[in-house]
Amino acid sequence: MQLVWLEMRDFRSYGSLSFRPDPGVNVLVGPNGAGKTSVLEAIGYLATLSSFRRSPEGALVREGAETAIVRGEFFTGAGGAIIEVETPPTGRRRVLLNGKRAQSRADVAGVVAVVAFLPDDLDLVKRGPAYRREYLDDVAAQAWPAVSTEQAEYERALRQRNALLRKDGRRTDETTLDVWDDRVSRLGAKVLERRLSVLDLLEPEVSSLYTELGEGSERLSWRYSAAGIGFLSGGTGGAELVEPLRRALSDARQEDLERRTTTVGPHRDELAISIDRRDARTRASQGEQRSIALGMRIAAFRVLFDRRGSAPVLLLDDVFSELDAARSRRLVGHLPDAQVFVTSARSEEVPLVGARWRVDDGEVAAA
Amino acid sequence: MFEAPVQRLIDELSRLPGIGQKSAQRLAFHVLHIEEEDARRLADAITSMREQVRLCARCFNVTDTEQCSICRDLRRDPAEVCVVERAQDIVVIERTQEFRGRYHVLGGAISPIEGIGPEQLRIQELVARIDDEGIKEIIAATNPTVEGDTTALYLARLLKPLGVKVTRLASGLPVGGDLDYADEITLGRALAGRLEL
Ligand SMILES: [Zn+2]
Repeated sequence: MQLVWLEMRDFRSYGSLSFRPDPGVNVLVGPNGAGKTSVLEAIGYLATLSSFRRSPEGALVREGAETAIVRGEFFTGAGGAIIEVETPPTGRRRVLLNGKRAQSRADVAGVVAVVAFLPDDLDLVKRGPAYRREYLDDVAAQAWPAVSTEQAEYERALRQRNALLRKDGRRTDETTLDVWDDRVSRLGAKVLERRLSVLDLLEPEVSSLYTELGEGSERLSWRYSAAGIGFLSGGTGGAELVEPLRRALSDARQEDLERRTTTVGPHRDELAISIDRRDARTRASQGEQRSIALGMRIAAFRVLFDRRGSAPVLLLDDVFSELDAARSRRLVGHLPDAQVFVTSARSEEVPLVGARWRVDDGEVAAA
Repeated sequence: MFEAPVQRLIDELSRLPGIGQKSAQRLAFHVLHIEEEDARRLADAITSMREQVRLCARCFNVTDTEQCSICRDLRRDPAEVCVVERAQDIVVIERTQEFRGRYHVLGGAISPIEGIGPEQLRIQELVARIDDEGIKEIIAATNPTVEGDTTALYLARLLKPLGVKVTRLASGLPVGGDLDYADEITLGRALAGRLEL
């Protein structure tokens, strides 16, 4: 997959930008705040319709502008596709795929896949389970585009159940709650099934990458622990998961009624990573954690490449400044053959050969 | 900002669904340039629709008489009732020509986020119709959304113990949208292949 051209208007700090990248490596160099990351963010936004900075959509619109427009053409194995997203400061965004209104995120996810390496990727390993759940869900949604619809429906059903509990607490009507339990467990089972499938594909890659990235021979392993159910392994079918989820919800009902929120379900699950028997979150060195995080991103690339039959676009946002020379070299050695976008404040810290672009004051020019 | 009377019309128009500021301006300036007679006819159409139209006493469809034309039609089968969220969904289902029963308009779907529970919908009114009209089957034609599915399931839980068969349109409808996103053929098929909940 390859971005052929990109146009932005009133996106972040850009008035307007038109950019024709190289099909190979693109290194964007410029001072902090010059707008390098916004270019990568715009590419990611076209592919996933969300910001990898976790910004709310309104924040993407340039101050005072009526709407932000991002447009780009991707060349995929199946030909070209033009994606266009118009985002107002408030209200619904408009997405066009080849000039036609796209119905859902899944339509766009079916066109192009991206993998982003971010400066705070260490969070994937160090911080709470939400980061690892999001990682699994993101890879799953790009591996099987229909999954983003299932994820959105689960989120919606969960928000509805929580709204019901928040409003009525212990006086919540049992029949209405039963009905929401049914929705949450059926939709939750789909989300869970996809997570387990993607975990199955990712785990061997991450384990071997951990060794390949030079962290020695200790064995890296993952364990998925489902809230209210227990440990689950890959290959568990969605139909087998509905009943356990329903039981977990019914066991937790008293607590849910008291706490006025849903305390079990895929939104509370944990993916624990360990090195031999050490917990990677609390008992690994920063260097080891760094290698696990890099491994998780490269593994995502490999899995998506395999599923989609074409290399995802790689986005590396200010990643090299966080790595020592040895890890930088190993990362470069493992970067797959793909279109790559790299940002950096210092040109010399990026040990990659490719097109160099100077980003300054809302302009991108060949350096 | 425009002159006050123009701005007032723009403000009113932009409150309509699907009309943004720009479209509202375009419409307002269009009205500015039409004959005064045409403007009056437009205003009259809006107010007289509101005065003359009311809800059917039985099914809550829009009508200008006590009961709507479907409820008054003796050829329609009272044993089958198709439950929809909004009155305009009736038009969509009628277009398929696959359904010969009556309707019931709930007035929405269960959505705690918006403060809508079963008691905010016309569910008690539906229950009251079951014995009165000898209803045997309820077809839950609520939208294929999380809320629509949940409402359908709620109706099944509530009505099955009363001896009513509750069915749901077969899948194949575009997920997440309104009923009127589906074309007649797809909807007709979904209706014919409905499944018991
Ligand atoms: Zn009627």
